[in-house]
Amino acid sequence: MNEGGFFGEYGGRYVAEVLRGPLENLENEFRLAQTDEAFFSELENLRRNFIGRPTPLLPALNASSSIGGADIYIKLEGLANTGAHKINNAIGQALLAKRMGKTRVIAESGAGQHGVACAAACARLKIDCVVYMGEEDIRRQRPNVYWMKLYGAEVKSVSSGTRTLKDSVNAALRDWASSWENTHYLLGSALGPSPFPDMVRSFQSVIGRETKAQLGDVTPDALVACVGGGSNAIGFFEPYLEGVRPILLGAEAGGRGAGIGNNASRISGDGRISIVHGYKSRFLVDLDGQVLPTHSISAGLDYPGIGPQLAYLAESGRIRFVSVRDDEALEALKFFAIEEGLIFAMESAHAGAAAITLARSLGPGKTVVVNMSGRGDKDIFISAAALDGPAWKTFLREQSITEEDS
Amino acid sequence: MNSDVKASLITHMIAGYPDFEKSLEVARGLIAGGAYALEIQIPFSDPNADGPLIENACRVALSRGFKVADTWRLLEVIRAESSIPIFLMSYASTAISCGLANFLRRAVEFATTGIIIPNLVPGADEGLFRTAAELGCPAVPVLVPWISDQRLDEILSMPIDWIYVALRSGITGAYTQIEAPQRSFLAKIRTRQRRPRIMAGFGIQKTAQVANLLEFVEAAVVGSAIVKTISGARHPGEAVRKLVGELQNIKLPKTPG
Repeated sequence: MNEGGFFGEYGGRYVAEVLRGPLENLENEFRLAQTDEAFFSELENLRRNFIGRPTPLLPALNASSSIGGADIYIKLEGLANTGAHKINNAIGQALLAKRMGKTRVIAESGAGQHGVACAAACARLKIDCVVYMGEEDIRRQRPNVYWMKLYGAEVKSVSSGTRTLKDSVNAALRDWASSWENTHYLLGSALGPSPFPDMVRSFQSVIGRETKAQLGDVTPDALVACVGGGSNAIGFFEPYLEGVRPILLGAEAGGRGAGIGNNASRISGDGRISIVHGYKSRFLVDLDGQVLPTHSISAGLDYPGIGPQLAYLAESGRIRFVSVRDDEALEALKFFAIEEGLIFAMESAHAGAAAITLARSLGPGKTVVVNMSGRGDKDIFISAAALDGPAWKTFLREQSITEEDS
Repeated sequence: MNSDVKASLITHMIAGYPDFEKSLEVARGLIAGGAYALEIQIPFSDPNADGPLIENACRVALSRGFKVADTWRLLEVIRAESSIPIFLMSYASTAISCGLANFLRRAVEFATTGIIIPNLVPGADEGLFRTAAELGCPAVPVLVPWISDQRLDEILSMPIDWIYVALRSGITGAYTQIEAPQRSFLAKIRTRQRRPRIMAGFGIQKTAQVANLLEFVEAAVVGSAIVKTISGARHPGEAVRKLVGELQNIKLPKTPG
């Protein structure tokens, strides 16, 4: 499927000459590691004993009967150490970095989940870690910043551009352009210049492989995942990409609805072909190719581009995409909390909402598997403010007074 | 060091920074200061091969509503006044937004000498190098000194007139010493039989650097130092005219008025 880093016309390696060598080197090292049994046995060991794999696959009986449609299964990826699927890739790449003799890892972070995963993986593997995070994201995801620091990582605030995920990618690329000799750039999503999309899919495909094994005799009719950059989706879908079944459904951030700056729907919205952050894909750019602002209630889906393989599979029709608005994600968050005792990450709640709709339309006797890519503990400041505004504000006020007194 | 060296300075500026009119003044100032050529950058929202200074300048220009079409307007005015060589710099996203060939055709209309797109390198260039050469404004590849000989051969086999050597690892803006590894890389290219002309930059801020560099290359590129000067100047045109003069160690006549 992947010729020279391309998926159809998407992907590639559109970087300045300075990064060409380091990426070629990374590709070679990744290829070598893939045939290295010692590497894989160490990775397997970390998956089991550090990440906590396999993560459960829950038959969501209450949710299914409440909806009255297809049977829903939920892959509880959010039960992985650090709270999301991001750790699968972080530990894989950190191990690779160590194998390459790198002593320092840099990472970008939006929601902070990838930053936390990198910081934890680097702590575990004893590598220095620097996480670039936009000022705006630091404000939105403060708790994750504390965790990163507790793991010993340095968090560098990015004040350029829109001060969000895309700017932290720029900052990390700039760092790497002068630090590649001792530094690995641990990119967190299935995008960026080749070989990152392949590498990230490879490390995340553990989600799909486990799910397939856990389903046993059950043949799923549909798989549903949320899509920011697309790392959980491509990893979850990976064993099912060949062929035409099951239905593969990606949920993009519909934000506040249609219109520039209101969402992050690249496929289901107004994405245009462009080249940004080292790869060709569909981006939310204007007619001049300038990257547009995006919005989502979930920081992890608030990104203007989509992984090149997903863009390709959207075009080929293998993966369908829908937009899920902020309010629909919040409804799904409440639904799965009440029905199943699960708090989805705000990102994953987009997949949850799409799964509910799909389960209803497929009807009884069918099977829908949704990936809860993360758990929602990290979102308490956002979800509580959205669902329980006044009481939450009062609590915060009281809490800050208590803190000052103590 | 010969102090009367007639420097060939390629001066980098951002179209629309700090605004359209002032960027035109900057162009005029650079020309009046004796620049050999202008490198005009089209502002981009995510210029990650540039440093924070240039990124910020891009943001300022874009926040004032600068469009790619304004670049052509700027070039038109400059061309009406001067035949100075112009290198146009863009990122891939803005260059391909209305089709790369269309973009290049517009550039040719204004007698552009060369096109610099740092994230379209030979082999991953969307046909840039071939098309630009066919249209008569060859692309200018940006090289770094530690690339392999094989890669250097590959790049030099492209249909090009100029190459841009980025003198240090990393991004634009920080001060660079022109040291042995850079010098030997430049010397290596100079020994090639049919070699392109060389412009070199990244971190050029001092007259001594320029003089030193011009022993090895046809032109020194000054970028961030100019942006810095503009950002702090009430009269950016005059400020850059002075800077260019100083960098070339040339005594300028007093400005009339």
